[in-house]
Amino acid sequence: MSSSKNDDPISEKILNVAKKNPKGISDKDILAAVPELSAAELVSAINKLLQEGLFDLYNQGGSLIYRLKGQTSKQAVKGADNEEKVVYNLIEDAGNKGIWIRDIRLRSNIANTQLTKVLKNLESKKVIKAVKCVNASKKKVYMLYNLEPDRSISGGAWYQDQDFESEFVDILNRQCLRFLQQRADKIKNNPKGPVVGRTQSFASAVEVQKYITDLGISNVKLEVEDVITILNTLVYDGKAESSVLPDGTKVYRAIESLIPPPGLVQVPCGVCPLILKCCSTGLITPQECKYMDDWLEN
Amino acid sequence: MSHQLGRVVSEILHQYFGEIVQKVGHDLFIYGTKPIPMIVKTTGLPRKQVVDSLRTLVKFDLVSFEPSFNEVVADYKLNPDNVLLLIRYPRYLLQIKTKFGSEAEILVEELLQQASCTASFLLVTVAAKYKDDKKKNITLVKLRDVFISIATARYIQQAPVADKSEVPSLEPVATIVPDIDIRQLAQAIATDTLADVSDNIYWKVNFDRFHQDFRDDIMVKAITRRIDENAGELMHLLLQNMYLTSAEWAAESNPTPVLDLRDAVDRADRTDCDRNLLQQYMDHYLRVLEENGAGFVVRVGEAGGGQYVVRGRDAATQLLLAALDHTVTERLGSKAARIFRLIRTKKYIEEDDIQKHAMLPNKECKELTYKLLEEHFISIQPMRKAASSGAMAKAVYLYHIKLHDVAQSLREMCYRALHNTLRRAQHTRAAHARLLDKQRRVRTIVHTMRVRGEPQQHIDDVEETLTPPELSTLKDVEARLKQLSAAQLALDKNLFILNWYFMYPH
Ligand code: SF4
Repeated sequence: MSSSKNDDPISEKILNVAKKNPKGISDKDILAAVPELSAAELVSAINKLLQEGLFDLYNQGGSLIYRLKGQTSKQAVKGADNEEKVVYNLIEDAGNKGIWIRDIRLRSNIANTQLTKVLKNLESKKVIKAVKCVNASKKKVYMLYNLEPDRSISGGAWYQDQDFESEFVDILNRQCLRFLQQRADKIKNNPKGPVVGRTQSFASAVEVQKYITDLGISNVKLEVEDVITILNTLVYDGKAESSVLPDGTKVYRAIESLIPPPGLVQVPCGVCPLILKCCSTGLITPQECKYMDDWLEN
Repeated sequence: MSHQLGRVVSEILHQYFGEIVQKVGHDLFIYGTKPIPMIVKTTGLPRKQVVDSLRTLVKFDLVSFEPSFNEVVADYKLNPDNVLLLIRYPRYLLQIKTKFGSEAEILVEELLQQASCTASFLLVTVAAKYKDDKKKNITLVKLRDVFISIATARYIQQAPVADKSEVPSLEPVATIVPDIDIRQLAQAIATDTLADVSDNIYWKVNFDRFHQDFRDDIMVKAITRRIDENAGELMHLLLQNMYLTSAEWAAESNPTPVLDLRDAVDRADRTDCDRNLLQQYMDHYLRVLEENGAGFVVRVGEAGGGQYVVRGRDAATQLLLAALDHTVTERLGSKAARIFRLIRTKKYIEEDDIQKHAMLPNKECKELTYKLLEEHFISIQPMRKAASSGAMAKAVYLYHIKLHDVAQSLREMCYRALHNTLRRAQHTRAAHARLLDKQRRVRTIVHTMRVRGEPQQHIDDVEETLTPPELSTLKDVEARLKQLSAAQLALDKNLFILNWYFMYPH
């Protein structure tokens, strides 16, 4: 949120406390959190924040309570009817994980048609937005307009507008493999022995991340975690194996399959979609087979 | 036994022994065991032909017999696995040639053709055959020595002996490496008769010994691919020790102490590895072999500087998996193979999680998963969620792999493919039968003419009866047949891994 840009350290501290207590904080809470603050400093800081419109002020049981404002709550509340407020609150509570329309309906008890209207309304005011959920394409969730969707919703680095970027993943997969392969041969006949050779053929996710970053093929910043995800696809591809070093780092090494392609896939039948329909007599037979013809041609 | 196996067996019998034997063999395959009159009845063949076929089949160990319940009549039974070995003959020859040289190859080849015969007969026949062949320079002494070495190494063994009952049963006997009297044999060649030689010990090829070699070879090659030649050599030495100390196909060998292994390394005389490196870093190699060698080898104890065990069963499983990965990759693409391996790693996994880990677009991922399901590479297990979750409850589907079943369907596929290549070869031969026949005749004639020393001009005339278009067709046909039989050999290797896996109870 924009408030974190505030470079005044005192305000920042106060804001942090406020963020942790969405129900609101009192003067006492602030002093507990920022003990080095004098009363005057406190007042001026609070005033500044109030001026910036970051806080709501309440009177609760005789003491003043400051509550952090959602940035847009002003607009939403302005000119909104009760339904809109209810819906807005539900959506706000859901945070950046969003909330499903069905859950809004169940919790708010607003009839379907009206709810749709309310949501449309809020959407057109750019108070909320609908976000497609990556792991269930039909499912849309609502969240506040200014929120960045959570990874579980947006899918993180691999998604562009909720579309999975498989080409990007493929390229990364290939590049990671190349990197591992460059050092894979170190284990072979290494003059320092195979244990050293093996260590030299290993690459950690951090090294791979650096390599990928240096290549400059990605315009999104890839976290180590993301690189691990890609490296794991290589493991599932059977092109790499992972081990854990004594110090706990996970490392990867490119490997080859134990055997060259076996007999079955060297003949057309091994890859033939009709293999189960192919009989001694009838329409599909080995005698007349076109695949066999082509294969025997060369 | 599967229908597909039946089709393959039938084609093989046709190729090697012709139509009649095929009919008898197929009949036995379908009905299991039965006596001669029943075979006559179902095949509709004359009794004499059935008996002749059975004689051939029994000779090559493709059919066995046992007394039926009335004691004097025999029931016959086909051994389909042995029929499949017929395709493997070229590999046996290659193997023995690599290990013991070309004399050994000639001996084994002759023995395979004879199915079983006495040592004297074998040596005399081979010696007589190559008497005039100055290039090969085959002597009786050499042959005898080779015979003794391959018998000692158990590549050939004594054939079982029949007892004296009405329907004899065959009793296996322990192989004793014989003394062979060369002078007597030389005499036999000179007089062209074996009558004076009293030798009633019959020999046959010990296929299982060859199969152990094939297995060792696969394992050594796999380790070489994974680590390097030196590790491969170490694997080889471990397997050698296993041969000496353990049952042939033990799921786990008896442990080999590191000290013994070190001796073996010092003695080893292989050229394709860097012995100094292996000697210097043997402990390191053992460690890497254990940790990165696909689980072929494990350390089991510390006695004698550490003890290592070869795990045949695990190796077979790993190799089967590698074969499966290749098959899935070729049939459905590398992305499907990724899903396949993912499911295998996770044991049981939900559809959503597949997509997450495999990093594939939702739609593609689903499609591939369903394709895998359709081709029986993976299975699905529905799981009801507890009723308490109310209206929202829906069944969860977990994907997983039933390895045994998948191996079975892979084997079926191999059988199908093998059948198809055999069938295709047979079809090609039949389609060009006339031409192939003509070529054979021309060759024989030319050969005799050469031997008789007739003028080149005449020989050319005969050769020219094959016209250029005919020659080019022949060349084409030969190339195709060669390709098909290479494919059959490759399929057989594939089946070898599968059968090795099935050897252990799962
Ligand atoms: S013979 Fe042809 S149609 Fe039949 S399985 Fe093989 S490739 Fe497919």
